[in-house]
Amino acid sequence: MKNSASPNIQDSRALRDPAFDLDSPGTVLFSSELALKGHRLNKFALSLRNRENQPRFRADETAYMRAYGISESDMQLVRERDWSALLLAGGHLQAILKIAATVGQSLWHIGAHNVGIDAEAMKAACPRVVAGLPEGME
Amino acid sequence: MAKIIGGIGIAHTPSMGMEYDRGMAQGFDARWAPWFEGTRPVQQWLEELQPTQLVVIYNDHLNHFDFDAYPTLAIGVAQQFEQADEGWGKRPWPTMPGDPKFAMALTEYLVRKSEFDLTVCQTLALDHGVYSWFPYLMDTPWRIPVTPIAVNMVRQPLPTSQRLARLGRELRAAVESNPAGERVLVIATGGMSHQISGARFGISNQEFDRRFLKTLPAGLETLMAIPQEEYMRYGGTEAAELSLWFAMRAALSAQARPVYDYYTCPQITGCGVLAMIEP
Repeated sequence: MKNSASPNIQDSRALRDPAFDLDSPGTVLFSSELALKGHRLNKFALSLRNRENQPRFRADETAYMRAYGISESDMQLVRERDWSALLLAGGHLQAILKIAATVGQSLWHIGAHNVGIDAEAMKAACPRVVAGLPEGME
Repeated sequence: MAKIIGGIGIAHTPSMGMEYDRGMAQGFDARWAPWFEGTRPVQQWLEELQPTQLVVIYNDHLNHFDFDAYPTLAIGVAQQFEQADEGWGKRPWPTMPGDPKFAMALTEYLVRKSEFDLTVCQTLALDHGVYSWFPYLMDTPWRIPVTPIAVNMVRQPLPTSQRLARLGRELRAAVESNPAGERVLVIATGGMSHQISGARFGISNQEFDRRFLKTLPAGLETLMAIPQEEYMRYGGTEAAELSLWFAMRAALSAQARPVYDYYTCPQITGCGVLAMIEP
């Protein structure tokens, strides 16, 4: 399994204080466009809410996904556990989380992948405390 | 006449629920013990307050609904509400009791008089949006009926803060139109600051959370004037869920006052609670 999120010397840079902006890749806002783009992907991922489906997926990931009409490129992202790209492909975090749960990963693995570090480093870095108030709340 | 006797705003997060179960079995760890201790006064207050109905405004996290049909606003009308299995198995808790008669009267008023077109759910599995904090506030057996109102917080466009406040005001009118002598507690749950996707994963703005808790009782208009986008910018995307708390505050009168609030941040989600009472 490819793991593109290996810990490295860039950890400190990856973990700089998060900025107060809503731009990608800091934030992936689940827009209507993403919802439409990811409809099949999310449908497949949410099928794993049903625990009987989890071993079926693990037994043959490709066959399981093919039955949901997942594109070849999205299937590849799932096989690679490329959580960050799956979000950009229209996967909703809460749906992608069901895939992670099925393969023995957690929210921390997804977050770590998004940030570009490993899950243990992510856990250690949280909460990533920021300070600042929006206009009107000061 | 039924009346609203008070309100609670409270955060939710999956770990809050799992840590309760672990804490009860083997003691709370250092991060979560403060939250358990900090919510005890609310649990005791509720025992004295003796509400007879709980209206819970929460958000589902794709554990019951999916994108085939995602309701912006939905109400549960059922004898009982199951716990949703979020993929890791259900926690060892019973179903929550509902009261279809009460919920039907609310629905009738909200749809016909208030013109709030709620999706009516006769089956509604509740996820950590309700189950994570519920055991902190309510000992089993759970006898007080719950009427859940689910608000879309997963998919843009989200309902506006103003719309949710209006829902709260209409909820009050609906309760007051009910001839039964119910004592209704309105609970809203969401947030507080957190973001669980993107490179801003794990952001926590405790100053922002604390300010929100202290401002809400007397500053609903001030907080609603801040666009939801700014909540997301400063508190993380999931901080938009704080707009659910506006429905709770708006369901109470101007004279309602805060009796308790508490805040801590155990892990990645700000955990706050605010209890308010009517005079």
